[in-house]
Amino acid sequence: MAPEAKPLIAVESIVKKFGPFTALNGVSMNVMPGEVHALLGDNGAGKSTLIKILAGVHQPTSGQIYVEGSPVSFRSPRDAAAAGIGTVYQDLALNQLMSVTRNFFMGREIFSGPAPFGVMKIAEMDKITHDEMVKIGIDISDPTQAVGTMSGGQRQTLAIARAIYFGAKVLILDEPTSALGQKQQMEVLKTIKRVRALGNIAIIFITHNEIHSKLVADRFTFLSLGEVIGSGTKEELAGDDIRRLMAGGAEMKDLEQELATI
Amino acid sequence: MNQDASGRREADRLKAESGLRTLIRRPEIGSFSGMVVILAFLAIVAGDVVFNPLGIKNNLAIISQLGIIAIGACLLMIAGEFDLSIGSMIGFAGMSMAMMMKWGLPFGLGEATPLTAFLLTLAMTLAIGCIIGNIVVRSGLSSFIVTLAFLFILRGLTEVSFREFNDGSTQISGLPDFKQDDFVAYIFGGEAFKWIFELLYEIGWNVNRRGEQWVGGLDARVAWWIVLGFITYVVLAKTQLGNWIYATGDNKESARANGVPVRQVKIGLFMFTAFCATIFAACQVFDTNTADAAKGNLKELEAIAAAVVGGTVMTGGFGSIVGVVFGAVIFGLVQNSVFYISWIDGSYYRVFLGTVLLIAAFANENIRKRITGGI
Repeated sequence: MAPEAKPLIAVESIVKKFGPFTALNGVSMNVMPGEVHALLGDNGAGKSTLIKILAGVHQPTSGQIYVEGSPVSFRSPRDAAAAGIGTVYQDLALNQLMSVTRNFFMGREIFSGPAPFGVMKIAEMDKITHDEMVKIGIDISDPTQAVGTMSGGQRQTLAIARAIYFGAKVLILDEPTSALGQKQQMEVLKTIKRVRALGNIAIIFITHNEIHSKLVADRFTFLSLGEVIGSGTKEELAGDDIRRLMAGGAEMKDLEQELATI
Repeated sequence: MNQDASGRREADRLKAESGLRTLIRRPEIGSFSGMVVILAFLAIVAGDVVFNPLGIKNNLAIISQLGIIAIGACLLMIAGEFDLSIGSMIGFAGMSMAMMMKWGLPFGLGEATPLTAFLLTLAMTLAIGCIIGNIVVRSGLSSFIVTLAFLFILRGLTEVSFREFNDGSTQISGLPDFKQDDFVAYIFGGEAFKWIFELLYEIGWNVNRRGEQWVGGLDARVAWWIVLGFITYVVLAKTQLGNWIYATGDNKESARANGVPVRQVKIGLFMFTAFCATIFAACQVFDTNTADAAKGNLKELEAIAAAVVGGTVMTGGFGSIVGVVFGAVIFGLVQNSVFYISWIDGSYYRVFLGTVLLIAAFANENIRKRITGGI
């Protein structure tokens, strides 16, 4: 980490309690511009809670989030979006029967005339949609095709391109590869790489998959039972470390032994 | 870019389907072919009575009347909801206007003119539409049930109001012929496209047995249908609101996540179906100078059926105004023209319409599955 680089998002000792249950117990992490930050951990580790706090869905019990150095508190997803945090959830918030362009601009159409009766500038919207998707690697031949006819990977790309176009500086990708086939997973990883290559956008990549994270991530944060059990850059963490932390801190050898005794 | 060994790309897989396939996916194509078939059939078996000036006028009167409410039903269905209260709303609005014209405006506001009667009635029906919409979006109940409740409530209120304020009768007839000298009454109940029929008279087609001009013009409701159809076509296909309507019906959660005001869209469309029902009633009242508590009965179901025949998907998110125009033509033609064919029992029209509806529903579902990748 270059000493002058400032984190785009800094999360400081976030605690989140749901009644008696402590979902997050003092989690801190820094998301640097232009980096892919893999957030890893087992089910129930607190990944979802953390990103929902970043996306403005939940409010932290205590702790502070900083965006580009200034403290923020999000009361709604709208606040988070306005601060430049774009979340791409697993369902992608896409409408299958509508065209690519209509999905891209859903709720944020370009139009002339009085809202909401303004006439959409469809040619311009088609062009922007096409261009934005080419930037991160998919050349859709026909922006009027229905999203339902696209592959899972293409849909991910559409959702990501849309978030970037509408001002996301930080993209939160919630398990973008988990519901896809092998080939489409690669598609999504390529898309992540291309977004990274744009240089100014940070990605928080939530995944279960150690291999995927190692392929694209620059920095890692491992959560287990609501706490950070390890973090660092790719260089700082050797391959074995990642595997050990992935398993919630358990040694692979121990696991092998455990399995062998059954 | 996701190439495989032979250099094929993901995007290439779509290009194979073009031309005819793209056409098949258009929501209007089924209803358009259906309309062509029926027009051809009628031309063969009953050409002389259907395709003469009077036949055209009568058919278009039925078609446009249905077409007006079918447009409302279609937009609402695209947004994912039903309105079963349209028919009762027609009865309610007709009663309201006719009673105002006969007994004067309520609350001691004095004599009614067609304009004030229409505007006051419209204010009431829009308010009721707004209430229905609010109940649906706030309660999360199915619009089927909520509007079914209003089907009963409005019909009952219409009958009660008639008995209460109209000397116990549920009908009003023999109102003065307002359309003769009142402009507002004329634009609802008068005639439109007179120039076409004058032209037809000039060229010697529109002539009755006495050698005079036979038909003066089309009913004004045809013009309303065309105007409403054109405006809603532009709104749905071209405007921001149109995108919101599609988005709301397709998947309202993702629409909301992207900032589409889903609730307002739905409430607005419930108000729009109430508006369409009021236009329907105004055309009827100022054309015939009568009203009846039973008016509009079952019209909500015909409107929904015409929308489905026009290619609107029942679950929302897909449909077009052009399609619903064709749907109304099919429905209206069959309803009206089967009676012209002497060798068919007129009541077969319902059998026929039911069959068409079923075929259309299957076809729509097929299209929806094609698009969402189910086929």
